[in-house]
Amino acid sequence: MESILLGVFEQGMIYSIMAMGIFITYAILDFPDMTTDGSFPLGGAVTVALMTSGITGIAVFGLVIPSYIVALPLAFIVGAAAGVLTGVIHVKFKVRDLISGIIMMTALFTINLRVAGSANVPIFSRDNMFMNPLVSSVFTGNGKKYSTLLIIFFVVLICKLILDAYLRTRSGLLLRAVGDNPQFVTTLARDKGNVKILGLAIANGLIALSGSLMAQWQRVFDLQQGTGTMVIGLASVIVGMSLTKGFSFIRATTAVILGSIIYRGCIAIAIRFGMSANDLKLITAALLFVILVLSREKKKKVAHHA
Amino acid sequence: MMKKGLRFLSIGICVVLMIGLIGGCVQKATETPIPPTEEPVVEVSPEAEAAPVTEEAAAAEQASAEKVYTVGINQFAEHGSLDNCREGFIEGLAAKGLIEGQNLKIDYQNAQTDIGIANQIAQIFVSNKVDLICGIATPSAQASYNAASKANIPVIYTAVTSPEAAELVKPDGTNPGMITGTSDLLPAKAQLEMIREVLPEAKKIGILYTTSEANSKPMIELYEKLAPEYGFELVIKGISTGADIPTAADTVLNEVDCMTNLLDNTVVNSLPTILDKANAKKIPVFGSEIEQVRIGCLAAEGINYLELGRTTGEMAADVLLGNAKAEDLKFQTIEESNLYLNEKVAKELGITIPEALLSRAVETFQD
Repeated sequence: MESILLGVFEQGMIYSIMAMGIFITYAILDFPDMTTDGSFPLGGAVTVALMTSGITGIAVFGLVIPSYIVALPLAFIVGAAAGVLTGVIHVKFKVRDLISGIIMMTALFTINLRVAGSANVPIFSRDNMFMNPLVSSVFTGNGKKYSTLLIIFFVVLICKLILDAYLRTRSGLLLRAVGDNPQFVTTLARDKGNVKILGLAIANGLIALSGSLMAQWQRVFDLQQGTGTMVIGLASVIVGMSLTKGFSFIRATTAVILGSIIYRGCIAIAIRFGMSANDLKLITAALLFVILVLSREKKKKVAHHA
Repeated sequence: MMKKGLRFLSIGICVVLMIGLIGGCVQKATETPIPPTEEPVVEVSPEAEAAPVTEEAAAAEQASAEKVYTVGINQFAEHGSLDNCREGFIEGLAAKGLIEGQNLKIDYQNAQTDIGIANQIAQIFVSNKVDLICGIATPSAQASYNAASKANIPVIYTAVTSPEAAELVKPDGTNPGMITGTSDLLPAKAQLEMIREVLPEAKKIGILYTTSEANSKPMIELYEKLAPEYGFELVIKGISTGADIPTAADTVLNEVDCMTNLLDNTVVNSLPTILDKANAKKIPVFGSEIEQVRIGCLAAEGINYLELGRTTGEMAADVLLGNAKAEDLKFQTIEESNLYLNEKVAKELGITIPEALLSRAVETFQD
C-alpha cells in the first residue's frame, strides 16, 4: 500500500514537470501543442544516448558532473530547440498551431529513433539520478525507500520555483499577456510571435526534462511511450486547475503538480480494483470526468445563487 | 463561502478515491483474487499430466497446506502469442505442483502496450508482496525488473526476443539480479532451410519490419547473418506505421521471389493486405507462427508459445519452491521449431510441397 502511494507520487511528480509545460502552452498561450508527444521521448532519447555513449561525466571547473545529471539540462535544451522549431513553423511560416505541432511531432519520431539508436534502450547497468554511489551513501536504512521520491521532489520544486519566478519577470508577464490579450503585447511594441516561440521553447524544454527523468526512473527508454503524453498533461492541468480554482493562495504550478499526482492515482485505483485491461482507459476517463464535473458544478451553482 | 465549501467537497472526493486505493490493496490482501476472466480453472495440458510427479511436486503438495504462493503476471499487450505464453506459464506451474486456486494465486494484469502502465502494475505487485512476478514481453519484463529489484522479488520473463539487448542478461551471460526467463528468438535457421526446400530456385527474400519495434532489430541481424549460407539475398524495407504497408509491400513484391515475416506487430496486423498483394502476383509469403499460416501464409517454422510459456512456468515453480535461485538460472531459448503448412495456399500458388515437409508438419491447414 505504501509503495503504491510512493509509486503514484514518484510517477505523478515526474509527469508534473511535463504538465507544467502543457500549462504554459495550453493555459497561458492557448496553443494546442502536439509537439509534446515527440519532445517527451526526445528527452529520454537524449538521456540514454548520452548515458550509453561511454561519457561518464563532464568536468566543470575541476568538478566532474556525472552524465546522468548533465542529461537533465541537455534534455531541456534539446526539447527547447524542438519547441522553437514548432514556434517558427507556426509564427514565421503561418502554419496553424495544431498542424505545426503535428509536423514537429512526426519529425521527432524519426529523430528520437535515430538519437536513441533503437526503439527500446535499457540503462539498467548504469548509474542514474536515483541510483548512484552518492545516493546510496547518503540514504541508508529506512531512508532508502524515500530517496527516489525526495530527489524527484527536489527537482520538481526547483522547476516550479524557477517557473514561478520567471512568470513574474517582464518576459513572463509578456508571455501571459500573449494568451489573454495579444493586442496589449503589440501596443507595448513587442512582437507577439517571438513571445510565443519563447513560450513553446520553455514548455518543450520542461517536457523533455520530464522525459529524461522518466527514462532514468524506469531505467529504460521506450519510443512508444510518447504517444498520449499530451493527453496526460492536459488532464493533469485541467484537473489541477479546476480543483484549486477557489483557493487563490494555491499557485497554478502547484495545482498542476497536484493534478498530475491525482491522474496517476486514478490509474492506480483502476488497476488496483482489478479492472480488466480493456476497461482501464475508460475507467480513468470516467474518474477524471467525475472530478471535473464536480468542480464545474460548483461554479454553475454559485452563478445561479448570484 | 459556498464556492469554497464545494471545492473542499471535490478535494475530499479525491482523498476518498486515494483512500479507496489503499482500501483496494487491503481487500486484495485478504480476499482471494479474481482469477483471469478467460479461464477460471487452469486446464492441465496432456504434457503436464504426462509429466512424472517429481519429488519436488510431491513436496510442493505437502507444503501447500501451509503456503499459498502469489504470482503477479504483468503482460504487455493482448494478442494470441502472448496470451498463449500466459496460459503455458500457468500450465508449467501446475506441472510442478503449483495449482491455481489451490496453492497458487494468480494476479493477471495487462498493460495495453503502455510502459507507464506496466510500471504501475509492477509497483502494485511489489506493494502486494507477491512471491514472484512474471513479465510477458520486453517492456513488461523491464518494468517488472525495475520495480522488483528494489524489493528482492524474483522476476521471470518470457517472450523477450533478446534478453541481451534488453539488458536483462549481462554481457558475460550471467543474470543482473533475481531475474531470468525465456527468449522467443525466432528459429531463423530452420525457417531459411524450410524456404530452400519449398522453393529451390528462389534467390531473393523480402522482409518488412517496423523501425520502431525493438524486437525486430535483432531478428533482422540474425537473418542478415544466416541468409548467405542458404544462397538467399535479403530485401529489407523498414516502415514507420501500418499506413506505410501497402506502398512498402508493392515495392518489395516487385523485387523478390518470396517474403517472410518476423514477429513484427505492425506488419503482422496488416498481414491480410500483404497477402492480398502477394497472391495477386503469385509470390509466396512465409509466416513466423501458426496464426499467420492459418490466415494464409504458405508455411512457417515457428516456436510454440504455449511450450515457451510452459518452460517459463517450470522455471518459476523451481524458484518459488526454493529448488533454484532466479539469479543462478540461465535464460532459455526454445531450440526446436514446429512446422506449419497451408496446403490450400500451396495449391493456389501452384507450389508442390515436398513429401518430407508434409510428413514432418505439426499442423497442416486445408482450407
